[in-house]
Amino acid sequence: MNKYGMAGVWAAAGFTAALMLFPAARGADSVYRQLDLFHDAFETVRKDYVHPVDDNELVNSAIQGMVSSLDPHSSYMDAKQFADMQIQTRGEFGGLGLEVTMEDGLVKVITPIDDTPAAKAGLKTGDYVAAIDSTPIQGMALDDAINKMRGAPGTKVTLTILRTGAKKPFDVALTRAIIQVDTDKFRREGDVGYIRLPGFNEQTTSGLEHAVQQLKKQIGPGIKGYIIDLRNNPGGLLDQAVTVSSDFISSGEIVSTRGRHPEDNTPYYAKGHDITDGKPVIVLINGGTASASEIVAGALQDHKRATIVGMTSFGKGSVQTIIPLGEGGGALRLTTARYYTPSGHSIQATGIVPDVQVAQGDEDTTPKIQRPSEAELPGHLGVENPNKKSSAPIIHPPAGKKIEDFQLSYALDLMRGKTALSSIAKGSEQN
Amino acid sequence: MKRLAFAASGAAIGFVAGLAVLARADTAPNGEAAYHALDRFGQAFSVVRADYVEPPDDKLLVESALSGMIGSLDPHSSYFDPKTYADMQVRTEGQYGGVGIVIAVENNAVKVVSPIDDTPASAAGVKSGDIILAVDGKGLQGMSLDQVQLLLRGKSGSKVTLTLMRAGDDKSFEVKLTRAAIEVEAVKFHREGDVGYIRIPAFNEHTDSGLQTAVRALKKQIGPKLRGYVIDLRDDGGGVLDQAIAVSDDFLESGEIVSTRGRDPSDTQRYDAKAGDITDGKPVVVLINRGTASASEIVAGALQDHRRARIVGMTSFGKGSVQTIIPLNGGDDGALHLTTARYYTPSGRSIQATGIVPDIAVAQGNETETTPAENYTEADLPHHLLGETAPTANAAPPIRPPAGKKIDDFQLSYAVDLLDGKVGPKTVAERKQ
Repeated sequence: MNKYGMAGVWAAAGFTAALMLFPAARGADSVYRQLDLFHDAFETVRKDYVHPVDDNELVNSAIQGMVSSLDPHSSYMDAKQFADMQIQTRGEFGGLGLEVTMEDGLVKVITPIDDTPAAKAGLKTGDYVAAIDSTPIQGMALDDAINKMRGAPGTKVTLTILRTGAKKPFDVALTRAIIQVDTDKFRREGDVGYIRLPGFNEQTTSGLEHAVQQLKKQIGPGIKGYIIDLRNNPGGLLDQAVTVSSDFISSGEIVSTRGRHPEDNTPYYAKGHDITDGKPVIVLINGGTASASEIVAGALQDHKRATIVGMTSFGKGSVQTIIPLGEGGGALRLTTARYYTPSGHSIQATGIVPDVQVAQGDEDTTPKIQRPSEAELPGHLGVENPNKKSSAPIIHPPAGKKIEDFQLSYALDLMRGKTALSSIAKGSEQN
Repeated sequence: MKRLAFAASGAAIGFVAGLAVLARADTAPNGEAAYHALDRFGQAFSVVRADYVEPPDDKLLVESALSGMIGSLDPHSSYFDPKTYADMQVRTEGQYGGVGIVIAVENNAVKVVSPIDDTPASAAGVKSGDIILAVDGKGLQGMSLDQVQLLLRGKSGSKVTLTLMRAGDDKSFEVKLTRAAIEVEAVKFHREGDVGYIRIPAFNEHTDSGLQTAVRALKKQIGPKLRGYVIDLRDDGGGVLDQAIAVSDDFLESGEIVSTRGRDPSDTQRYDAKAGDITDGKPVVVLINRGTASASEIVAGALQDHRRARIVGMTSFGKGSVQTIIPLNGGDDGALHLTTARYYTPSGRSIQATGIVPDIAVAQGNETETTPAENYTEADLPHHLLGETAPTANAAPPIRPPAGKKIDDFQLSYAVDLLDGKVGPKTVAERKQ
């Protein structure tokens, strides 16, 4: 909301200033030339296109084209979409239960979440969503597509699906529902507490705290430590990432966001205390670990509070801000900053490199397109600091032996001291 | 400091642009709305310049805006950035090569409709139904068909890499192709008994002369018992307008061939036939299908309206819009490839979205079994331009190949039989003549 005020003031102040500054506009030659070019093209379309077109729609498409060219997370919401979004973020909203990514201009299903409308309707991993309520996805930013799929619980939405092997696209009608992302998936693994965080919503921290309490009770004083599973966790709310990190780190910086202007730089600090009483922690990550979960992994890694096990994470280290464009003008969802771990590493495109690289073993057989990382997204934001590559070799599951979850079993062995921890400690120091 | 200066200049430009719009208020009755819209663009541009996480390139911002704006209009309108525009000029001036595929956009994916025989694409095993994800690593998201076509074309001998996704495969794969002059665009012909068969696969500068050579050669081969001609325009995606006019003119003595009409009645252009029918008035059957588009629909429409040919096959694609290339700032800032008019057949029908409905609907028999792209028309394209005339639905169900019998090209064999008088609603023919 404070951005709204600002945008309004700019327009108004700019307008009066325009009269005074007009002679000086030459200084902004490039800007002038570019806007003039846009004006020419706009006028040509208005005058010469085969039929009259709506000025506002022309400009909406132009802004959408401009903003979505920046990176995969920046987009434009027209007045209606912006209003819808405000309702959604204020109240309850429903979804379909799809984890999606953008690929070649289409939304691709990574996973339909169990017991959701999407899973019940038979949507499958690898399906492409080509249209939402007959509106083609083409040219849409991923966030816009996701927003279109969301809406009040009970409302209907029709997805047009392209499926490998199906000759024709087909429509699937779905009824939106509140998507319960199970936040307290935990269990004891012998003397180790295992906690899976599938996302970051308002309940994540309380769910984690509940899980730790229960595990302490179940396992008792002999508890060796905790495994926090952030694999395929696409992120969510920043403040939950901060509070989750705070549950393991008593003080110090957890993450900072840095934009173009130094005054926009915001550090977030740990608050609270270590709810695990300093027990060893292993964090599991993979290529599906993104955004808020990378903040947690990065903070625990930099504070040497946890050993990070698994594969390099996705690398979504950018912050989007909603900036309204004045009365009825819609709003920009603009990437305005990057996340930095406490040691100053940008997560963007690089991701979090694990202390111990352990492959699940199915990485090669999984279609590559199901596991794009931020660096593979078209137009992704670049990396500022050079790639910190782990020089340690990747540990693979032993050939011939079938282990259901090799990364987890490796983490358990590590926790119990069955594999050499000393080498790991050294490994993490190199970073 | 920087931010303030910039916000001011952004607004200044918005203001100047506003003046310009107001000055043209006589041509723009809704100048106020245009002014507000432009001002909103100026604001968005300012915000992005000031607040985006990295300083953006002003030029790229505006190019993306133009691309977004023009691309939203219809599937054939697009913005060519300066480099693409320069490349395009080189290509249309000189010789260019291609990879030899017919493509269509389907559900926002660029699909191979068919690889053309004896071209780099078919030699490399590109298949009908393959989805093209990228050309030389460049994703095709948001591109118009024309833009994709431009990317595929280039100098003969130059290399291009396609990233393809094939139904049934989990992974995309790359195919490296060396562009070549696509010979297949040449007019081909052969005799089918006493009928002359002429295949026009596209309309380029050599099409009309190719047709005339074919007619001369067939007259010589078949002699005076020549019954007529089959002109095969199936899967002919069109091409150069003046060639469509010249080809139509080869069969017509006089009258209008086609007209283009834009926003302004004064923009209407009429193209008329000149005297002379190179086939000496012999019966003509034109074969069309859903792959018959643009220039080939002009030919089919003109010959149909003048009752010069019977149109056999399936309803055509319906690409009846005209694109004009409008350079910006003399081409230094690229160009708009803008839909500015519609084609109308001599009887005043718009081809757009409706297509040409055949006089005798004859199915090839494989329509439902082939790729969806083949059964896909302009009306299926997102944001397609609407037709003005109501679709004239062909009431009669299409004639289908007899069950159990395998006929290689049923539509052609029907057309030949029609000219030989073996099949066909003669009554229709008689009424029409």
